[in-house]
Amino acid sequence: MDVLKINGGEKSFPDDKMPATLADLLSILGVDSATVVAELDGQIIERANFPATHLRAGQNIELVRFVPGG
Amino acid sequence: MKTIAQHRDIKKILADRGLDGCGEEMWKQRLAEITPAEVEWALSRPPGYYVLDRLLILVSPAAENYLEQMAQLAHRLTLQRFGQTIRLYAPLYLSNFCVNDCVYCGFNKSHSFPRIRLTLEQAVAEAGIIAKEGFRDLLLVSSEDKDFISVDYLAELAAKLRPKFSSLSVEIYQMTTEEYAKLFAAGIEGVTLYQETYDRGTYSRCHPSGPKADYDYRLSAPEAIARAGMREIGIGVLLGLSDWRSETLVLAEHAHYLIKRYWQSRVSFSFPRLRPARDVDRTQFSLLSDKNLVQMILALRLCFADAGLTISTREPAHLRDHLVKLGITKMSAGSKTNPGGYSGRTLRPGSGQAGSVEQFEIDDKRTPAQIADMLKSQDLEPVWKDWDSAFTRP
Amino acid sequence: MDKLVIADRQFTSRLLMGTGKFSSSKVMAEAIESSGAEIVTVALRRVDITNQNDDMLAAIDRTKYLLLPNTSGARTADEAVRLARLARAATGINWVKLEVTPDPYYLLPDPVETLKAAEILVKEGFIVLPYINADPILSKRLQDVGTATVMPLASPIGSNQGLKTRAALEIIIEQANVPVVVDAGLGLPSHAAEAMEMGADAVLVNTAIATAAEPVKMARAFKLAVEAGRTAYLSGAAAEFKKASASSPLTGFLRDE
Repeated sequence: MDVLKINGGEKSFPDDKMPATLADLLSILGVDSATVVAELDGQIIERANFPATHLRAGQNIELVRFVPGG
Repeated sequence: MKTIAQHRDIKKILADRGLDGCGEEMWKQRLAEITPAEVEWALSRPPGYYVLDRLLILVSPAAENYLEQMAQLAHRLTLQRFGQTIRLYAPLYLSNFCVNDCVYCGFNKSHSFPRIRLTLEQAVAEAGIIAKEGFRDLLLVSSEDKDFISVDYLAELAAKLRPKFSSLSVEIYQMTTEEYAKLFAAGIEGVTLYQETYDRGTYSRCHPSGPKADYDYRLSAPEAIARAGMREIGIGVLLGLSDWRSETLVLAEHAHYLIKRYWQSRVSFSFPRLRPARDVDRTQFSLLSDKNLVQMILALRLCFADAGLTISTREPAHLRDHLVKLGITKMSAGSKTNPGGYSGRTLRPGSGQAGSVEQFEIDDKRTPAQIADMLKSQDLEPVWKDWDSAFTRP
Repeated sequence: MDKLVIADRQFTSRLLMGTGKFSSSKVMAEAIESSGAEIVTVALRRVDITNQNDDMLAAIDRTKYLLLPNTSGARTADEAVRLARLARAATGINWVKLEVTPDPYYLLPDPVETLKAAEILVKEGFIVLPYINADPILSKRLQDVGTATVMPLASPIGSNQGLKTRAALEIIIEQANVPVVVDAGLGLPSHAAEAMEMGADAVLVNTAIATAAEPVKMARAFKLAVEAGRTAYLSGAAAEFKKASASSPLTGFLRDE
């Protein structure tokens, strides 16, 4: 089982089901990449690079988006 | 990152608004058109509220009918902000050698008279006499005699005088920020430097040659002073060189500019009025009446609640006695405007000369003690010492 | 009406709106429309990966409104800087409302961390709009480091108390070299009008609109109030004219001239 840390929580994936790229991860989670910002192990990833960003087990991912606020 | 406002420097601001002389007729026209209703609007604004229009109205001919009202407001405002006090200071003239030939000045380089400059020891001795009178606030003055009255000379003099005087400032030739910073490090906290006139045409006519002939360089001086960390920046125009109402407008804009950008320094205004001076032909100038001078002082006070307003012994005693209730916060007393004047030093023994040449004739010749008595009789306390830099600096 | 200029952009509306606390994204969008605001603030939060439909902001047309991300949630300069960088990565826009609020009760901004973060962000090319308490010296310090505005509070966020910090706001406005946006605590349109009459360049309103019984109507009321206040300010409203009290004449001596 491969584990990714996402937004402070852990998500496990069966061995062959781990998303290869950040774009794949978002797709699995059902999150629209157009409105999200991603940080991988503390580095901000530009949206254009989501499909090219490969993931490894154990990495720390933050997915952040705009929400209402004053 | 600079905002749009911060991109514009004072030179551009004055040029854009026609305030450096090119728009003189326009401003004169506007001044002449001010109505009583506008004056009442201006007077109803909160004290200390400055926009150029308010000042323009207050220096306009129409406002002359409201002088008493302006005076009452200015008096109350000054009382609130400064208390029932007047700061006293004395000028110490260090030299009358000069490389400039300003047409209005007694020390003009083309005027022939025996020049004198004080050595450090002589300057310290003069200062000692001044201190004995009670002064703790000293203004070091010199004409443009940079080779002798150098930055180092001034810094050394400041170091020697600091134990005796709690406040040291200078009124000397223009310097760079670095040079002002050296003076600040040596204990000088204020610099007074007049543009003399903001009208470019008049400026060229009055300053034909020498370092002072450069209008733009002169205009940049107050900022250099502020950047060096000086606590007080004194500005002003030589009243009588050109139309005083227009000059006051520009002076105010300059002050406003400095106050906004250099918020840690205090801006003060002085009001040097052209006075008789040796070899200077006064008929070429347009002299101000006492009424004009009063209006200018009141207008500036009403627009700049916390600015210092300084009046020197150029002005006659009876006028100064009234001015202390009209917004003035600082005055000199017992002044000598000739180097060596306090000790009565003669240039050459037996030369028959009573003393060295003065920059201009003094009118109020009262002693400091007499001035102090006058102030007390008007319920004003003479303040010899404002604060102690000794607490905050080695 | 004269334009509001912040950094290198001009705006017609002097009412900025927050997008928080609305009952639905539909009401929020309608209220924004009704307010005439051109700048709307948004926050950044972690995506709720268990809930597919948490994108409330899809309702805002980003071609029409300038989204101004805030760094709410940050309690230190480092957190605020991180949030600002994330926001810039999300939109490509480098505008940020800097909000550092370690106090969860009143949500008052930390002046020390705010100044620290502002300096870093300005150096990184951000257009920084800092939210602060109404502190005139802090305002000058922030302007010195290059922020595009200052945003002093009128009273604590959500308190609807109006211009409690009036005296300090007057000084800030008088001394400012950048636009002053009064932000937080404006509970009524009359508060907003008063802020504009004092000379504020703009106001930011959120709670008072979002939690009104009819937000869309309240948004319009604020719009009108801001316009009224600005017009009054520009027309040079007369302060109370206090006649000088009778005392000895001060300029009588001039008559002898």
